[in-house]
Amino acid sequence: MDNNILKAENIVKTFTKHTALDDVTIEVPRGKVYGLLGPNGAGKTTLIRIINHITAPDSGTVTFNGHRLTAADVANIGYLPEERGLYKKMKVGDQAIFFARLKGLSKNDATRALKEWFERLEISSWWDRKVEELSKGMAQKVQFIVTVLHKPELLIFDEPFSGFDPINANVLKREILHLRDEGATVIFSTHNMASVEELCDNISLINKSHNILTGSVRELRREYSDNSFEFSFLGEQSKLEETLRPLVREMEGKGIDRDGFLSLSLKLNSGDDLREAIARANGAVDLRSFRQVLPSMDEIFIRSVEMFNQNNPQ
Amino acid sequence: MNSQLSTIITREYLERVKRKSFIISTILMPVFMVLLMALPALIAIFSTPEEKEIAVVDESGVIAKTLQNGDETKFVVTQATLADLTDNEDYYGVLVIGKDIVDNPSAVTLYTHSASSMQLENAIARQIKETVESIRLRRYNIENLSEILAAVNADVKLQTFRIDSDETSETSSTLSYFIGIIMSFMLYMFILLYGQMVMTSIIEEKNNRVLEIVVSSVKPSYLMLGKIIGIGLVAITQILIWAIIIMSFTFWVMPSLVAGIAGGADPEMMAALGLLGDGSYMLTLFVYLILFLVGGYLFYSSIYAAIGSAVDNIQDASQLQTFAVLPIIIGMVLAPSVVGDPMSSFATWVSIIPFTSPMVMMARIPFDIPVWQIITSLVLLYATFLFMIWLSAKIYRVGIFMYGKKPTIGELIRWARYK
Repeated sequence: MDNNILKAENIVKTFTKHTALDDVTIEVPRGKVYGLLGPNGAGKTTLIRIINHITAPDSGTVTFNGHRLTAADVANIGYLPEERGLYKKMKVGDQAIFFARLKGLSKNDATRALKEWFERLEISSWWDRKVEELSKGMAQKVQFIVTVLHKPELLIFDEPFSGFDPINANVLKREILHLRDEGATVIFSTHNMASVEELCDNISLINKSHNILTGSVRELRREYSDNSFEFSFLGEQSKLEETLRPLVREMEGKGIDRDGFLSLSLKLNSGDDLREAIARANGAVDLRSFRQVLPSMDEIFIRSVEMFNQNNPQ
Repeated sequence: MNSQLSTIITREYLERVKRKSFIISTILMPVFMVLLMALPALIAIFSTPEEKEIAVVDESGVIAKTLQNGDETKFVVTQATLADLTDNEDYYGVLVIGKDIVDNPSAVTLYTHSASSMQLENAIARQIKETVESIRLRRYNIENLSEILAAVNADVKLQTFRIDSDETSETSSTLSYFIGIIMSFMLYMFILLYGQMVMTSIIEEKNNRVLEIVVSSVKPSYLMLGKIIGIGLVAITQILIWAIIIMSFTFWVMPSLVAGIAGGADPEMMAALGLLGDGSYMLTLFVYLILFLVGGYLFYSSIYAAIGSAVDNIQDASQLQTFAVLPIIIGMVLAPSVVGDPMSSFATWVSIIPFTSPMVMMARIPFDIPVWQIITSLVLLYATFLFMIWLSAKIYRVGIFMYGKKPTIGELIRWARYK
């Protein structure tokens, strides 16, 4: 079988006044966490809805598990939308059973699986309470369970951590990674780049209806590397700066680091100069460590979006 | 049936039927109506009217002995004069009857301390009139007078029969009129109430954002259909409960009631009671009521569903809602004029064309109209419902994801054309 659980190819979706998606292609590898990034209004939610078979694309195909996506496949997808919602007047347990049954679980299976999850997330006591009595974070936990309960192969989380305190966000992160380890594929849409670095294996960056960047997080960060390095040393900083000056574009002293060494961050003119730079530094000061500083996803995000916007003015 | 659809229907139904407000209104409504009808009688029973004592000064000597005490009046014949009695507050009033009352019926005066009532005056005048008339009659010295009077007395009550239908059945147009109006009003009430329930529930789901979760599992059209059917079942449950209450009244209470008052009541009243006590007639009416209620509800609730999907809040809905409310009200307003002349061609048309047909046809049915008209009306109603729900599903599918601005009718039509 194809190594990709999901392929969306050449998706176009136009609404009356604007094009939400213009020839977007993404391939989601099985068993990985896939980040779907992009500024607000870029078209992420529309793409997610197409993957969820909620709306149909104007053109393009979505392939799920090797076949064209059908309505029946949604039983194999779990979706947590950005705007959370539950029936306010319904009891938590009844409500969770309702959603599970819509996904095709029998009442008994649903109840059994739910009880397990409720215990696991320590919310068993909420079973008979109405949703309107819960806090926002509590309701989100219920919603998370409802999303993953039917053990779908593909999970789609839209901003899953918004509204969670750090402790519960960590619980959620742990559960998401656990689900991945059990074989589920996760599509993860977010603005929070720190969590992307932490969780995602691959990403696509959607901007103004286009997929402007795709790849594995590790490779992208290497690819976008601007030859930034950090040297820790003992000795005279001015001497080091002087000997390195011909090789670097930028240089900045960072003071004393927590191990008590001086530190200097610099950007080399070219990656090929690395050996030369180390050799020179070795002669000038007592070098203790050096490491490459990879760009954060935040920087990559901003750089790509700005570059795309410059090249494609409205 | 599709298990997702039945899951949605079950939720919509149970969530409403289990609510306290539903249980209370279902039970209280008939109780309230019975109370409303029985209230005058109850007031009469429990309030003890104060007795009015009226002193009678009879100068003619023939009237006083014939005066009968009523429920609230007691006549006290006295030999005192008017002047003696005017200051006596024990009496409610003084009735002075002139010496020549038999020849001069105006020679009678009632003096009261406070304002007298029309009822009291009429009662006194009627008694005196009867006495004076019989005295005058007796002056003619007719033999067997009382027998003749009894033989002459005629109590005319008009009974009407329909001769154009197969079986000649006794009908009462007054009764049909009221049954028609009541049925039409019930349809109006149910369609408006439950149709709007569909709309507000969709708006609520949209605001809650719970909708997106549901449609990630089921087709939007299933959710819409499930909601309409679920709420429709709530309406049927309510009406069934009421029907059972009324039917049990018809079968057990009514016959004994009719038997109990037979003879005394007037024929119009008896016919009405007889009809209400006629189980098969009531059952036929009820079946029609359910058919038109379901058809009308389905038709209008699909319009309401489309409106609900298109807007974010009730305020925005009000303008679009006119398209649903207006025809319902027109149907309701037409009902009284239609029952006034149920066989006119105007009445026939508005009872067959959907939009007004449920309300108007229901008002006409008690008048024994041709069955083909009822069937045509029903077929048209259900056919247009199918078209309407198809159209609404198309609007709904797009509308539920539209937030922010209030759409116009033109936009709704454009949505319906989306692929």
